[in-house]
Amino acid sequence: MTLNRSLIMNGVSAAVLIAALGLAGCSTTAGVEATGKTGWDEQGARMLEKNVVYNNSSLKRDLLIVDVKSVMAGNIMRAQATVRSKDKDTLPFQYRFDWYDSDGIELNSGAGSWKPLILNGRETKTIQSVAPDPRAKEFKLKLREPD
Amino acid sequence: MRNGIKTLMVMGAIGILSLSGCASTMQYGDAGSAKPLTTEFGSSDLQQIAETMVDSMVAFPPLVELTAGRRPVVSVDVVKNKTMQHIDTESITDSIRAKLIRSGKFRFIDRTTDAQTIEELKTQQDSGLVDKKSAVPFGQQVGAEFLLTSNFSEIRQKAGSITDVYYKFTMSLKNLKTGILEWSDEKEIRKVFKRGTFGG
Repeated sequence: MTLNRSLIMNGVSAAVLIAALGLAGCSTTAGVEATGKTGWDEQGARMLEKNVVYNNSSLKRDLLIVDVKSVMAGNIMRAQATVRSKDKDTLPFQYRFDWYDSDGIELNSGAGSWKPLILNGRETKTIQSVAPDPRAKEFKLKLREPD
Repeated sequence: MRNGIKTLMVMGAIGILSLSGCASTMQYGDAGSAKPLTTEFGSSDLQQIAETMVDSMVAFPPLVELTAGRRPVVSVDVVKNKTMQHIDTESITDSIRAKLIRSGKFRFIDRTTDAQTIEELKTQQDSGLVDKKSAVPFGQQVGAEFLLTSNFSEIRQKAGSITDVYYKFTMSLKNLKTGILEWSDEKEIRKVFKRGTFGG
């Protein structure tokens, strides 16, 4: 009987351990998206149409996109986003910029890479990118939790 | 007793169900993934370095001015690899060169394919197969105006279960005529590995 009980206990602990191992493999990749599109106002001055979308509620709790802006370096578009952490702990994120031409066609489709972004508690940081070529008129910033 | 065996079977079943998630799998991964596996130099580090260098160079005001009306010819020097690792540094400069060419701001000459070029020109000139009017003559290539040089170093520190590796990639654009460095920038990457109590 004692032997059986220890057998059962072993079975239980093994099952719990295996279940825990199985669970650890999950992670989410949905996130926050901010777009900036080059437009012109009535006077013909260059302006940026901005839009921020939060696809992930836990990321929305942790992170705030304070500002999105863009300037030209010669004929190449530069983008900058200001990101603020709402959490008191240091959190790791990943981001990438995708670039589109004036027709909304992505440049170098799929070629971008995720970059790490470490935000200390309640810290504000800027992240920047430069367009791959002069055709770029629109960008999309994607933010996510590390994969 | 019977109850015990039943419990054991249920637990076993749960275990097997969970195990299906741990079986070996094979799949395509994201080539742009930023997931670090070790403190060794990885694909994401390469991409970060290449993108930072190109972004910095393309947006640097004096170079914006320089490239406004023309596309200067640049040659890429071999990276001085001062890290303890064997890294295909040509792969880093290849990425940087490809991005700079695509930006439409610079043109490049490639010294690594000179042997093949000479072979081809010799064939065109000497084999008698090629029409002399269309044969490419020797001595017509354009000389580079700038040289892109780079240094790659690491500082590795280990204390107990923590390994901390700091990488620094420095790149400069040298004007070959004047010897002046027209642009320079560096990218730093820090990778920290903490060995778990039960980890291998």
